[in-house]
Amino acid sequence: MTEPRTVAVTGVGMVTPLGNDVESTWNAILSGESGVREIAGFDATGFPTRIAAEVKDLRAEETIEDRKSLKYITPFSLFALAAAEEAVRDAGVRPTSATAERWGLVSGSGMMTTEFDFLQRFQREFAVDGQIDLVRLGAEGARFISSPEFARHQAVAGQALLHKRYDIRGYSANLHTACASGGQALGLAMRVVRSGQADFVLAGGYDTMINPIGLAGFCLLGAISADNDRPSSASRPFDLTRNGFVLGEGAGFMVLEDWQRARERGAKIYAELAGEGNSLSSYRITDSPPSGDGPIQAIRGALADAGETFDSIDYLNAHGTSTPMNDLSETNAIKAVFGDRAYDLAVSSTKSQMGHLIAAAGAVEGIICALAIQHSTAPMTANLGTPDEACDLDYVSEGCRPMQIDAALSNSFGFGGSNSCLVFRSPQRAEDRGR
Amino acid sequence: MQNGVVITGFGCLTASGADATATWEAVLSGESGIREAATWDSSGWPWPLAGEIKDYSPRDLVSDRKLLKFITRQDVIGLNAVTQAVTHSGIIEHRDELADPTSFNDRTGVFVGSPATKHRYQHDFLSPLADSAGDSREFGVRAMEDVHPMWLLRTLPNNVLAYVGIQYGFKGANANITAHGVSGSQAIAEACRYLRDGAIDQAIVVGYDSASELEALPYYASVGLLSSRGLRPFDRSRDGTGVGEGAGALVLETQDAAERRGAKIYGGVLGSSVVAEAAGVLSVREGGEGVSRAIRLALEDSEMRPDDIGMISAHANGSRVSDAGEAQAFTEIFGASSIPVTGFKWSLAHTIAASGAIESILALLCLANGRVPGIANLEELSPECRGVSVSASEQKPRSSVGLVVSRAFAGLNSCIVLSSHV
Repeated sequence: MTEPRTVAVTGVGMVTPLGNDVESTWNAILSGESGVREIAGFDATGFPTRIAAEVKDLRAEETIEDRKSLKYITPFSLFALAAAEEAVRDAGVRPTSATAERWGLVSGSGMMTTEFDFLQRFQREFAVDGQIDLVRLGAEGARFISSPEFARHQAVAGQALLHKRYDIRGYSANLHTACASGGQALGLAMRVVRSGQADFVLAGGYDTMINPIGLAGFCLLGAISADNDRPSSASRPFDLTRNGFVLGEGAGFMVLEDWQRARERGAKIYAELAGEGNSLSSYRITDSPPSGDGPIQAIRGALADAGETFDSIDYLNAHGTSTPMNDLSETNAIKAVFGDRAYDLAVSSTKSQMGHLIAAAGAVEGIICALAIQHSTAPMTANLGTPDEACDLDYVSEGCRPMQIDAALSNSFGFGGSNSCLVFRSPQRAEDRGR
Repeated sequence: MQNGVVITGFGCLTASGADATATWEAVLSGESGIREAATWDSSGWPWPLAGEIKDYSPRDLVSDRKLLKFITRQDVIGLNAVTQAVTHSGIIEHRDELADPTSFNDRTGVFVGSPATKHRYQHDFLSPLADSAGDSREFGVRAMEDVHPMWLLRTLPNNVLAYVGIQYGFKGANANITAHGVSGSQAIAEACRYLRDGAIDQAIVVGYDSASELEALPYYASVGLLSSRGLRPFDRSRDGTGVGEGAGALVLETQDAAERRGAKIYGGVLGSSVVAEAAGVLSVREGGEGVSRAIRLALEDSEMRPDDIGMISAHANGSRVSDAGEAQAFTEIFGASSIPVTGFKWSLAHTIAASGAIESILALLCLANGRVPGIANLEELSPECRGVSVSASEQKPRSSVGLVVSRAFAGLNSCIVLSSHV
């Protein structure tokens, strides 16, 4: 067997509630901004929660040059295409007829596919009184839906658009493990490059659940914060008064490639994606246990996979959702893995500023780890004003912290119990290890 | 076979049979499970055909009755197949004897081919929509009153993954693949990746779907994909596919782990592939270019030559373009050789995210029994499919190695190479 390859991050792109590209998002992180507002995309005043972290002013016509593709675009695939384009441009490499089959695509995508407008139209047409008229649906159903609409509702719609836009003809995967999707996608993509199954992988996640159905689902469950009067501090991970997460939306994509090739073509390398830990909590659908079991195996697995130990990590980008259970379980997992060293580790949750991007979260936060390494800066946990005795780590609550970061972890834990932990290493450290 | 992956258990639930044996026997005897849809009144529908699970009874399919409140029909089907496979493998009895079951659980993965979301999940919102008559504020109020608080959790695309974990306590690496018709095959492929990488020692793999939901029939028909007369792969008269429900599950282990516990080994997964055609959301490229590449890569991954392949389980979904493209790929790679080719969707319907897993199990049974069932409703081989050894009657595999082909929207193609002899 050939030696596993080292995996380089050579391009990054994102669309987040803090900005429609990497630079504006990073600058907003540094200046402590919040992306949470009253929901503007639709009238949410009938719901208990009326706030969310929405993407602002991203226009499809300006993002998609191919007019024909516009018919196949949904809000989340628009985010995906915009973030992927930034990543590919940033990497300075794209598939050609000679390399198309050596390019792969791995994405974590969201669970909402049917658009609310479509459901409304369906109701008016086939369920006037709320009950479906079967005779009418049988007779008229095929004429009711258009081909682009049918295509848009497929879970693979975003994956298909990305393949077509970049003519990526190699390996492909579309994953959904709720909030762990983006992290698991990057982890799988890393393995694909490592094993030589592809030379380049466009990898990331995209999602939005900020629509009447998604919001209803989370409100019914009582999982999101209803601090409607103070949106900018509604997401306050690790704070004693935290009361649920804030819905976000967006996308993050990376170009991952074989380190050697990246060096040979003189690519700018942000970081090495060095390890993945992937586990299942097998406890409850919405939570990991307070002990941190589940996340613990993911973090340990990632460290072992990267050949790092608990004392070599400088920064950890937490899942940190701002729900009572997650933040406790995650804190305890970090303590279980890092022991006394846990208190020396800089831990922060960027969800405090941009909300929870669900299937996109792990991908965006992975990019944030790469940027933290590049800029020697640990992002902060905003809104942590009332410490929780049970959550007593160093959450970087005073503001972004300038510090050398040679190894960073990114945690993502999903509804359903899937956990992902990724290890990113600085280019310097990766090179030193390679010698 | 270093780092080899072996199959130590399997189970399935299809329109044609309630378990792997019943499904296998139905296919062998030329029976189809495709009927007019009966889970709703489909009389008068122009496209009524569906491969539905017969005598569906959730209480019989899932033993934990409390769980039924938190999952949907497709989850029930998926979990039933997993229970069959896990029982078949004996891994729980093995774990019960271990001094350290924690480490066993941490090194047991779960890999799922999932149908993602469904139109019918949204139907819970039709009443609040009707009652609010276009007033979005009112819709919010009504939705909070009318819809079940657990709605979101019941509709998670990763419910089967989550509940396999919770039911058995498995905590290893996992993935939930939502890639339409290749999901089941890719779940097998990704489980093999993590097994070969040494991240886990054993994995539960399941592909499940209830593709023939209420809205699916008219919508699939709207884009010309559905046949109103039945699914007739490779036939001159084929005019579309038919969708259905089902699940297939396998227990995979590293050869080391299986041998250490003295497990009965039914076969092995030798290699796999996934490739994209980059053709758009619904299109497949003519000529089978994507299938050819997927086959070549799977052969390479399994270190097999075309001549080593003893039989092919084709995607064979009854679509004009897809069947012709597959046939072209087969003749291109395997030449004029008479490798027996068959397919199973004429009997089970196209179970989309489940199909790759179910058909891998049936291919394993072909190899183990030395029998390749015919495509019973094949009357006249399409001229576009000439050169392919497909038949209405039974054939014999030429070796113990089989190739399973799956195709999907987004122009995805995936192949699994498996063997009944390890």
